[in-house]
Amino acid sequence: MDFSADISVQSGDAEQRERAKMRLYVLFQSVGWGLLLTVGVWMAVEGPDQHGVKSMSTTVSYVVTWVASGWLLTHYLRPFINRWKWKQLGWRPLAPRIIASALVAGAAWCAFTFVWIHAVMGEPWPEKVSRSLFVGICWTDYAALISGWVCLYFFYHVFDRLNRSEIERFQLMTSVKEAELRALKSQVNPHFIFNSLNSLRSLIGEDPTRARQAVTQLANLLRYSLQSGQLETVPFEDELGVVNDYLALEQVRHEERLRLRLDIAPDTLHLSIPPMLLQTLVENAVKYGISPRPDGGEICIMARNEGGELRIRVSNPGEIAGGVRASSTGVGLHNAAERLRLIFGERATLRLRSEQPSLVVAEAVIPLGHHS
Amino acid sequence: MKALLVDDERLARNELRRLLAAFPEMEIVGEASNAKQARGQMETLKPDLLFLDVQMPGETGIEFLESLEPPVPNVIFTTAYDEFAVKAFELNALDYLLKPVDPARLAAAIERLPGYGASPGAKPARPGLLEASDKVFVREGEKCWFVEVGQIRLLESEGNYTRVHFGDAQPQLFRSLNAMEERLDPKFFFRANRRQIINIAWIAGIEPWFSSGLLVQLKGGSKVELSRRQAQEFRERMSL
Repeated sequence: MDFSADISVQSGDAEQRERAKMRLYVLFQSVGWGLLLTVGVWMAVEGPDQHGVKSMSTTVSYVVTWVASGWLLTHYLRPFINRWKWKQLGWRPLAPRIIASALVAGAAWCAFTFVWIHAVMGEPWPEKVSRSLFVGICWTDYAALISGWVCLYFFYHVFDRLNRSEIERFQLMTSVKEAELRALKSQVNPHFIFNSLNSLRSLIGEDPTRARQAVTQLANLLRYSLQSGQLETVPFEDELGVVNDYLALEQVRHEERLRLRLDIAPDTLHLSIPPMLLQTLVENAVKYGISPRPDGGEICIMARNEGGELRIRVSNPGEIAGGVRASSTGVGLHNAAERLRLIFGERATLRLRSEQPSLVVAEAVIPLGHHS
Repeated sequence: MKALLVDDERLARNELRRLLAAFPEMEIVGEASNAKQARGQMETLKPDLLFLDVQMPGETGIEFLESLEPPVPNVIFTTAYDEFAVKAFELNALDYLLKPVDPARLAAAIERLPGYGASPGAKPARPGLLEASDKVFVREGEKCWFVEVGQIRLLESEGNYTRVHFGDAQPQLFRSLNAMEERLDPKFFFRANRRQIINIAWIAGIEPWFSSGLLVQLKGGSKVELSRRQAQEFRERMSL
């Protein structure tokens, strides 16, 4: 499972929304132009004959040509609107652009219909009005239609944008609440706490010095998990200290089954990370990489400060299986990924992947220098 | 009483060993750190009691128990924190201990064990056959049962599995009906037909049926048909 899958899930949504928007667009276009066509045809059939004696079918064919060309024109106006990024503009810069585009498109539409009707089809020009006045009236008419179309188009987009930002605001609020709730619920796994207490009870008889040390380590871990929920970020060094305590306790339990390799660059220690991030990754590594394997395995923690990013890698033996594994790992890592995104923005990522055969790597990337 | 400790953590096993020192009748015959080891030791050590951790690498304690050839010994589960298992245990009155183990709770669990304190009774006359008081472990979904063989009314074949009817439950056992038949005492269990074995002690009524067959009604409501051949064998057996 990939936790940029998180992002790709969203883009899946976006794809769906794009498709829905496309359907809506086709519907609007069909209804709008269909209406115009109906009115045009009705006028041609029932209305007063403006163009003198000619067959009804010819008039209808002109109306169809006119509507079809308008339809196509507006359809090909859309990519230009996208290319020029007009959707990002406010009303004030937008207004003159709408008028200009309507005039240009109107002129094109006029030109096409006149060429088609009067030059190609050989329809005579109206005699009662001057040719330039006729062209002027048509142009204004068409430009008005086009600008109406463009205005509707932008109305829809402004509305959609408002709607979407509202939804995003709610999503953000929910995830903040979830993160808070999780912090309140204390993130240390109860199974671990009670197993550790059990090992401790045994250790008291066997190795009192180690037992005393383990009590302190457990106290550190519990205190940290209770307090750190209130903090947005902690120094990486603090988190690492607690993770070391946690791993020492796991080693009391699993003994030689849990082997460790730490590779921490010193220039990462002062950097900020969300509390319990590394702890979550390491806990998962123990839960899925060590606990289920009778022979245990090695957990490797690596931290680097490279290219303006803090990279934290935790690897454990095992495979990323779908189903059960994904769902149970999902919650902890998903929350961690969400918190990372809320605090550091979209550039912060958390990914889980299989690297070599039977090696699972969880990698968090945190951009340096800005918190949102 | 011979006990086998099964837990993946050495310290946890040591702790249990230390706690069990207070019970002189309890003899710890072995330790295993996973299901595979435990299975090997079951055969050689033949313990009367298992202390069985639920969460273990590889197979869980419950999966291990399910795979055991009946009769299963007495079992006391141990678990640190496992909401699911604990709920299942409470529902079916299986004994379990939460780690770290409370000595008073351990004493109570041991005193409840059937046969604890009594001198080891004579072993069954016919080895290999299950006694009425022997237990079989059955699981379906999250529910687990230790069922005494004498409480089973009816066993029905379902391919490689056997559906076992007892009390209000009828879970599937991970064994074929033929494999079960070999282990059941023919004094109590009778092969009624290709698909079913009935417990004679649970018969409520017998009626004549088509073509000199019999229809046997069991306490609890199930009806089982006996073919002519089986009916004849049944009559012979019953008239003994």
